[in-house]
Amino acid sequence: MKIFFQTFGTVKKKFSNFLNSFFKKKKTRIGIYGPPNAGKTTLANRIARDWTGDAVGPVSEIPHETRRARKKEDIIISGANGSTVMMDIVDTPGVTTKIDYHEFLEFGMEKDEAIIRAREATEGVAEAMHWLREDIDGVIYMLDSTLDPFMQVNIMMIGIIESRNLPVIIVANKIDLPDAAPARIRSAFPQHPVVAISGLEGRNVEDLYETMLEYFG
Amino acid sequence: MPHKCTKCGREYKDGSTEILRGCASCGGKKFLYVKEAEINKDVLEEKSIEEIADESHEEVLEIVEQPTTRKKEVEMYDRVETIRIVSPGSYELNLEKMAKSDERIVSVGKEGSYIIDLMSMAKDEPKKKRTKKR
Repeated sequence: MKIFFQTFGTVKKKFSNFLNSFFKKKKTRIGIYGPPNAGKTTLANRIARDWTGDAVGPVSEIPHETRRARKKEDIIISGANGSTVMMDIVDTPGVTTKIDYHEFLEFGMEKDEAIIRAREATEGVAEAMHWLREDIDGVIYMLDSTLDPFMQVNIMMIGIIESRNLPVIIVANKIDLPDAAPARIRSAFPQHPVVAISGLEGRNVEDLYETMLEYFG
Repeated sequence: MPHKCTKCGREYKDGSTEILRGCASCGGKKFLYVKEAEINKDVLEEKSIEEIADESHEEVLEIVEQPTTRKKEVEMYDRVETIRIVSPGSYELNLEKMAKSDERIVSVGKEGSYIIDLMSMAKDEPKKKRTKKR
C-alpha cells in the first residue's frame, strides 16, 4: 500500500510538471515591506547577492533612501532538502503615514533637497501600496528589532496584508545591534512566522530562506 | 547720487529700482554714479560716459541678472497630495487627483510635509472590482 502511494505521488508530480510546462505558472512575486530604515534594501541586496550575485539598490542611514520600488527577477532559492522556488523580489519604499522634510535636515541635507526627498518619498509610499494592491503574491515584512513593533503603521500594514490574504513572513532585523529585542516582535505578531536576522551581517538568513520556501513555495 | 546708463546716457534717480531690470531705453546693464552737479557733463563736454567714469573714478554699477534659483512652482496636477492644509481652516483640493483615485495624501503647510492615509491606498480601484463569483 505504501509503495502504491509513493508511486502515485511520483506520477502525480510528474504529471503536474508536465502540465506546468504547458500552462506556465506565474512566478511568485515577493514584496519586501516595512517602515523606513528597517533594512529592506539591505535584505534585498543580500538575497540578490546570495542567489544571483547582483545587487538591488543603494542603502543609506537617511530614511527614505529607496523611493522607487525595485524588482529583481527570477531569483531561485533552494533549501537544504533540495526544494527550490523561483521568485521575483520587489524592494519597496518604506511605508509610513507621516513624512516631513525637517527629518532629513538633521542628516545635513539642504532644504531644497530635503523637500524633494519628502515629495518623492510620499510618491514612493503610494507606489509601494500600488504594488501591494496589484502585483504581490507574498510579503516579507521587515521590522527593526531595536524599535517598538507596536507602531500604528505596522499594525495597519499587517492588517492590510492579512485582509488581502497574502502570506507574510515577519523579519526581525538588526539582531547584530545590542538593544535588539526580536522576542518583542514575536509576541506582537504571534499569528505569523517571525525570523530574527541581521541583514547587514547575514546572520540567520538561511533560516529566512527556509521559511520563504515553506511559505512562498 | 543719480545713475546714468553707460550705453545711452539715460538718467535714473538715486535709489531707482528700475535700473535693476536694466536700462529702460537700451537695455544696458552698466550704470555710473554721477554727481548731481555733473549730471549733464557728458552732453556739455561731448564725452562718453566711459570717459567720465575714468575721470570721476566712480565705480560702474553692473546689474547682474538674477539667476532663477527659485524652482518653478509645482503645478497643481503634478502635486502628490490630494488635500493641502494651507493654514488651519484653509484647504486646497487637488480635484484632478481626487478624480483619478481614492488615495488621500494630505500635505501640511508649504512643501515637504505629508500625512498619508494608508487605508485609502489599500483598497482596490473601483473599476477593478472583481466580478461576483457564483
